Amino acid sequence: MLVTWRYRKRRSLIQWFDPRAWIIFYSCFLFATLFFWDVRFLVPLMLIAIVVLLTSGIKWHEIRRAFLFIGAFVFFFAFLTFLTGRGGMEVYDEEHLIRSLQAPFTIFGWQPTLEVTVERSFFALSQLVRVFSIAVMTILIPYSLNPSYYGVTFRGLGLPDKIAYAMDLTMRFIPTFGRDFQLTMDAQRARGYELEKIRGGLIEQVRKLGPLMVPVIIHAIIGSEDIIDAMDLRAFGIGPRTWLQELHYELKDRLLIAFGILMLVGALVIVFMGYGGFWVPESLIRMAGG
Amino acid sequence: MTNPLPLVVENLTFRYRDRQETAIRDISFSANPGEILLVAGASGCGKTTLIRCINGLIPRSYKGEVTGRVLVYGEEPQTWPLSRISQKIGTVLQDPERQILGTKVLNEVAFGLENLGLPRAEIYQRADDAMRFLNILHLRERETFNLSGGEKQKVALAGVLAMRPSILLLDEPLASLDPASALETLSMVRMLADEGMSVVMIEHRVEDVMKVNPERVMFMTEGEVRYLGPLDGLSKVVNYHEVKLPAEVIIARAAQDPPPVEIDVLPGRAGAGPESEPLVRFEDVAFGYDRDVEVLHGINLDIRRGDVVAVLGPNGAGKTTFVKHAIGLLKPKSGRVLVNGQDTKDASVAEIASTLGYVFQSPSHMLFAQTVYDELAFGPKNLKHSPEEIEKEVKEALETVNLEEREQDPPLALSFGQQKRVSIAAILAMRSRILVMDEPTAGQDYQNYMSFMDSILQMPGFESILFITHDVDMAVIYANRVILVANGRIEADGKPHEVLSDLDLLKACRVVPTTLLAANLERLPLTGRFMRAEALAHVS
Repeated sequence: MLVTWRYRKRRSLIQWFDPRAWIIFYSCFLFATLFFWDVRFLVPLMLIAIVVLLTSGIKWHEIRRAFLFIGAFVFFFAFLTFLTGRGGMEVYDEEHLIRSLQAPFTIFGWQPTLEVTVERSFFALSQLVRVFSIAVMTILIPYSLNPSYYGVTFRGLGLPDKIAYAMDLTMRFIPTFGRDFQLTMDAQRARGYELEKIRGGLIEQVRKLGPLMVPVIIHAIIGSEDIIDAMDLRAFGIGPRTWLQELHYELKDRLLIAFGILMLVGALVIVFMGYGGFWVPESLIRMAGG
Repeated sequence: MTNPLPLVVENLTFRYRDRQETAIRDISFSANPGEILLVAGASGCGKTTLIRCINGLIPRSYKGEVTGRVLVYGEEPQTWPLSRISQKIGTVLQDPERQILGTKVLNEVAFGLENLGLPRAEIYQRADDAMRFLNILHLRERETFNLSGGEKQKVALAGVLAMRPSILLLDEPLASLDPASALETLSMVRMLADEGMSVVMIEHRVEDVMKVNPERVMFMTEGEVRYLGPLDGLSKVVNYHEVKLPAEVIIARAAQDPPPVEIDVLPGRAGAGPESEPLVRFEDVAFGYDRDVEVLHGINLDIRRGDVVAVLGPNGAGKTTFVKHAIGLLKPKSGRVLVNGQDTKDASVAEIASTLGYVFQSPSHMLFAQTVYDELAFGPKNLKHSPEEIEKEVKEALETVNLEEREQDPPLALSFGQQKRVSIAAILAMRSRILVMDEPTAGQDYQNYMSFMDSILQMPGFESILFITHDVDMAVIYANRVILVANGRIEADGKPHEVLSDLDLLKACRVVPTTLLAANLERLPLTGRFMRAEALAHVS
């Protein structure tokens, strides 16, 4: 099978909870993390993410690809921040130089210089921890939440029937879409089309994706007509619908939600009290001669 | 007063808002309880429009001009709310893939009942009843995406039956099924009718539907009813080229006509080189998509110049996986595939494409360009042919498929049959020497696909043709070699009359024999080979 669901039933911490409770907890975690730039606060959050990851019951070979992809992405941007110092200017005004690395060559008269400062290094580290925590928690969701429960989960969180069902439909048609995409890809490769060899400017590149995108989009549009007909013919949207799956909150779910909210409120309080912003250890600054 | 009939259609005419001509004209018929009414006719004859008029999608979702009326139990359903229509009239659409909305089978079957807002206990009860009736209770917890075509069709049917309609409309329910699954679906439909349901079934595989004895048949051409009555009357009214009738009926009718002209198969094979050298060679090929599941085991074979190969077998047997190895889209896990003596592992798909052209089942998966010309030039351009060569190749390909006047038209605006021809021409333009087709007859009606196959086999330029099919008749009529695939293995490989005469083997491979095969086997001592029914009529 070319597209399969990553979800399996597993003995895991995430799946022990009601999916709604987990989504609420996840949202609290997300915002709490986004409030901080201070590594001292970010590290405990990262530890939570690591515990959740280690108890997820997902085998490394299942998750490897997603991790390598996102991992490379996260490291790349953290490194970019480190090199350029961009992004951090908003949270610190002063920089303390540890070492200035000068390239032994010049490019058209410009000598690349890397200013390694305490702030830059720590900013890159904070960014890494922050994005890594969020990425871990997010990657785990498709592996852990039963795709046939998305609709009822969001209905349970108070979204209207139609929007909640749209979640279910999305889950249902992602593999179909993936299969159509693969078919078109194969059909065009059989005509000598090579995606790897696409070059040129942005517009040129997009234009060269036409052989792939046009059939896939046309198929999706034609297919959606059938989907709408099928829904109409079975009385979708005539009134409040029954959701077959039932979800019940248990004590552990309430505790999880309480913990999530506490974490968020705690984060808010800390931020309002003026803590949690970008932080660098004094000792490092002293070492740098500041 | 007697009970009104479940369905009465009176002088129904409809024109879509954005079209000039009417889609259906002056249609009148009624359906009785416990009856299967088969609606047959070529593509575009208005069958689907008729269904939409009955189930209320016209005028609800498709706007246009309606005259005449539809009565369900004496009332006009246009005035009913959707909830009531959906509980009286059940519709199974053509493509089960697009009408299954639930990720899990149970959710899919329960979908309509959930929308009606029924209590949970009742939903479980009715969904389970519907699944039990169709014998698919074991699929209850499965994911719908991973079901086979036949299973999907049954799940879609269960979802409709759970609403307990008394009229069932089926729009080409067999289109995506292999013959064995089609037969199972048909026998279920028969069972439903025998329980008192009125069934209106659109299908152009008339010969298959005949096996479950539909009470009446309605034959439509160009939006009008040409015949309405019992089944045996149909063969007297219709031309045997239009509808696939049982072989013996065709033979009896064709005996009065002049014998068909023998087609010149693969005119391109002569002079291309010695026949002994294999164009494609499979050596002990094994393959699996996942690490631990193998779908192809130990495939060994050669494809030579002059071969017209039918790869026959049920859905999921591994036919497509096997063929994708020939073009290098998949590389074997063990063993090797040689195309023109070169290992596919060392060649890109683009390199192989100049030897072997692969036409996918649905042309809409590959057509993208703004004009037919650009579409055909796409392949040769990728293969780095020179502009002068490309122009010549495109012109010749267009000529071969008879689409010269369409050169500047957008391919997506063409009819399905024309799109299919564009997809073949796209391969022709690349000067591929071997043509590989996946289900070349899918989505076309009988007359269209027969003339399509006739013209492909006579095209100059190909040295060998290989097609995947689950229709035994395609193998009987067109192939000079049959490869029978089941469970990822080649079960038989040989001349059609050698492979297809082993009826036990066919049965074991879920291949359903046809009346044409029977007629051919009976006359084999006289003919020495297989031929089409029209030709059999002149054997004595």
